[in-house]
Order: sequence, then structure tokens, then C-alpha cells
Amino acid sequence: MLDTYRHVVTPEGVALHLRAAGPLPRALAYVLDLIARIAIYMALYQVLTALFGGAGYAILMLVTFVMSWFYMVLFEVLMQGRTPGKWALGLRVVAADGAPVGWMASFTRNLLRVVDALPVGYAVGLVTSLIDPWGRRLGDMVAGTLVVHAARQQTLYEAQVAPALAPAIVLLQHEQAAVVAFAERAPRLTAARQAELAELVEPLTLSRGQAAVMRLYGIANWLLGRR
Amino acid sequence: MRQERFVERHQAEWRDFELWLEKRSVSARDARRHRREWTGIADDELPARHRRLCQQLALARRRGYSAVVTDRLQQLMQRGHSVLYRTKPVHWRRAVEFLLAGFPRLVRAEARCMLAAALLFVVPLVTIFIAIQVKPDLAAGLFDAQSLASFEQMYDPAGKGDLGRTSEDDLQMFAHYIGNNVGIGFQTFASGLLAGLGTVFVLIFNGIMIGGVAGHLQAVGHGDPFWRFVAGHSAPELTAIVISGGAGLRLGLSLIAPGQRRRIDSLIHGGRRGAKICIGVFAMLVFAAFVEAFWSSIASVPASIKYTVGAVLWALVFVWLLRGGRNAIHRDDEDAA
Repeated sequence: MLDTYRHVVTPEGVALHLRAAGPLPRALAYVLDLIARIAIYMALYQVLTALFGGAGYAILMLVTFVMSWFYMVLFEVLMQGRTPGKWALGLRVVAADGAPVGWMASFTRNLLRVVDALPVGYAVGLVTSLIDPWGRRLGDMVAGTLVVHAARQQTLYEAQVAPALAPAIVLLQHEQAAVVAFAERAPRLTAARQAELAELVEPLTLSRGQAAVMRLYGIANWLLGRR
Repeated sequence: MRQERFVERHQAEWRDFELWLEKRSVSARDARRHRREWTGIADDELPARHRRLCQQLALARRRGYSAVVTDRLQQLMQRGHSVLYRTKPVHWRRAVEFLLAGFPRLVRAEARCMLAAALLFVVPLVTIFIAIQVKPDLAAGLFDAQSLASFEQMYDPAGKGDLGRTSEDDLQMFAHYIGNNVGIGFQTFASGLLAGLGTVFVLIFNGIMIGGVAGHLQAVGHGDPFWRFVAGHSAPELTAIVISGGAGLRLGLSLIAPGQRRRIDSLIHGGRRGAKICIGVFAMLVFAAFVEAFWSSIASVPASIKYTVGAVLWALVFVWLLRGGRNAIHRDDEDAA
């Protein structure tokens, strides 16, 4: 319940990282979709009754019917798991193995909303998604799907090029990783903060201030293999 | 191997992979149209490339390379995964095949649940119908006076208008029936997830309601227009409700009696089959609504033709459900549709 970060091992033996979404963003997405549907309904009501009169009302009823059962399904399958509401909140529906959700699975999970909505206000769905480690409601469990936070595209910077410098002492692997991570992230920090961080490892750099930062860059470059 | 050399060595490979994902993975139609101009990775080479990439990712993680490399490979791998493992698109031919053969086969596979659902629906229906013939006052206990009056008005033998309705036109009634009936059908199935109790309740409730209306109209002497109205669409509509009930009971059973599966696996199995059955139910109810809106209400057709059409439809539905897909080469329905 506390850990919402899921790993799924693919057939190739590497792990997919899936960040399961909790009830709150999902509920907000649902409300947005509801508003969108009501807006579509009102707009169509104006247009259709003005154009076709009584027949327009019949068409409107058909559209309402289609939207109430297939609005979610169509968007989820055709738009890579995103309804407009989910898109606004950065959510996606995926199959439990991280693959895109198919027609059958999406149809099933939305069909079973009938149960999740019982007795009022998605209470069953809320309780099950709090109990389930993947944050799934009953419909998700049966359909074999889950809702995840879509991966954020974060820009990473290559480490700055600096003269390579062998470290004076042998570094353990996690220490090496920390030094490289510093070299990749520090350029985005202020000079004072860079120096402050670099001074934490004075035994390694044997210097202070800007010199320590440059030495650390040098060691990172050496660790990355730039000679 | 140092990170820098690792990246240098494989950089080109990753770029090719990325380019393929961007250009050829989005639309199959575009990919076919431009296949001659394409010079990057061949499509059939992609699975092998993906496996290589996964291996490189595992290697990068093992060797503790920095986030610049591992995150990039991770993202490429996830994109490749979602292309390679996506579900097949549905073809029209497969959809028709499913309706003609796969669906009846699924229904027959759950014969016992279907039978139970049919009993849960028909027994209350017939009981109430007979009870009201014996003691007509019972109808007043089921419905309030206002609804009884509106039923009587809809099926008034002296009425001039269409059967079974007041003033709306056919298209509007079609829209109404389809929304109403499909809603009931889907709810009958889905409420099976409440250990089957929801389905049992919906079936019995609908049996009582339908039996009550029919019994009351028969008892007050409005039977003729009523039977003429329901003869046509009763076959697809009532069987569809029973079938969705059977699917709902199946879903409930996979919750309370998972057998040798884990409960969650049993639910997934039952839910998937049930949802497929719901697609067939949906088709049946659309057909039923069509008949109900555009045929059943015509008052001018003589009763004999109405009853003949009704009988033919009942026979067709049963032949379809009992024989459909019997001599077709058996497909694994788990993967079909």
C-alpha cells in the first residue's frame, strides 16, 4: 500500500518500471471525463435538436448510450491508454505486463465499473484500490490492467568534459556512481551549491571551493572512461 | 568496460532502434506504404534488436553506469516493449466469425450456468403469470395504480395507435430500447462479481416484473395486443438477458469456487470469457431493439404473421446457439476476438 512503484520483469529478463496511480488522481481524471461528456452532450443537444427536431433527440439518445459504455474504451485503446481526463492528469491505462491495453481488456474494465461504483460514489473501487498493492479497482483486477503515471520525459545532461583525473583512493561502486551523478547534475546548480557539495568529499578532492568542483568533474570523467 | 566506451560502441545501434520506433511503430498502414523507402532496421529484425537492447540495459545496470545511460536504455526498452507486446487489432472477418461460431461455442461451454440463469429467470416469470391469472389482485401489489393504467393504455385492444407505445416515433423508441436493454444486460453480467448474488437478484427481479406485466394484461383482457407486440423481439431479447445472467453466474463462481487456479487468475479467466459473451449479448440486444422498434409495434400486421415471425426467430436463435461453430475447426477461444 505504501510502495506504489512496481517492477514487472519482461520476457527478456529486464524490469519495466511502472508507477501505479492512486485513487485521488484517478478520481479527478474521472470527474474531468464526466465534465467532458456532459459538455459534449449539451453541445450535441443544441445542434441536433435544432437540426432534426424529434429525430435529433433520438440520435442524441443513441449517442448518450454509446458514450456511456464506450467513451472510455475508445479513448483508452485508440489513444494509448489515455482518456482526456487521464491525459490531463498524466495517467495511462496499461496491461499488467506493461503492454498497451487491448479492446477486450479495456471493455472488461469499463464494463465492471457497474460493480466498482457500488453502493455509491465508487466506494467498492476506492476500498479495493487502497487494499491492492497495484492500486487496482475490481474491474482492473479482472481485466488484468492497471493505471500508471505516464513516464515523465526528463532531460539528462552528459557530464561536463574536464581533464580526466585518477582518484587518489580506490572508490567503491556506489561511491563511483555518486561522483558520476554529481558531474551529471551539478551544472544545473548554482556555483555556491556545487562547491558546497564538492567540499563534502574533501578527502577525495583535497581542495576546497571551485577547485574541488573541477577536481570532482575530473574524477568523474576518469570514471566514465574519458582519457 | 568504461561507460564512455560502452556508449561509443553501441550508440549507433540505439539510434537505429529509436528511429525505427519513431518512424515505423505508429501506424501499420504508413509502415506498409513506405516500406520500400525505409533503409533502417528491417521490421522482422526488431525482436532480436529489442533483446539485444534489453541485454545492454541489464549490463549497464549491473555495471552501475550512470542515469544518462541507464535511463535512456530503460526508456527505449519500455517503448520497444509496448510495440512488441501490443494486442492484435480486431478484423471485421474475425468479428463476424466470432458472432457466428465463437459466441455460441462460449455459451455452450457454460451450459450449466446458462441453465441455472434460465431457471432463475423463467420460474418466477411463469409463477407470477399463473398466480395473477388465479388471483388478479396480486398485480396491484407489484405495481402502483399509475403504472398499471399506463400498461393498460399501451396495450388497449381498442387503441388506434401503434402497439406498445404512446406517441414517440420508431427511431426514438429504438434509441430508448437499446439504451435500456443493453444497460440491463451488462448490469446482469457485471453484478455477478458480487459472488453471483447481484445476477441472481437481477434475474429474479426481471422475471417477476415481466411475468407481472404479462399476467396483468392477460388477466384484464389486453392479452392479444400484448402478445402480438412481444412475439417478434422476445426471442433475441429474453435469451440475451438469460445469457448475460449465465455469464454473471460464471463470474460469481470464479470468485467463490476458483478451483485449481488462484482466485485472481480465476477471476481474470471468468471475466475475460464473460466480457466476450457480453459482446455477443450486445449484438443480440441491438438486433432485438431493432425488431422491437421497427416491427413489433406495427399494429396492421395480422396476428398469424406476427406469431410466425416470432416462432421463426425463436427457432433461429436456438439453432444458432446450439449448432453455431460446431463443425468449424476448433479455435482456441482464449485468444480469439
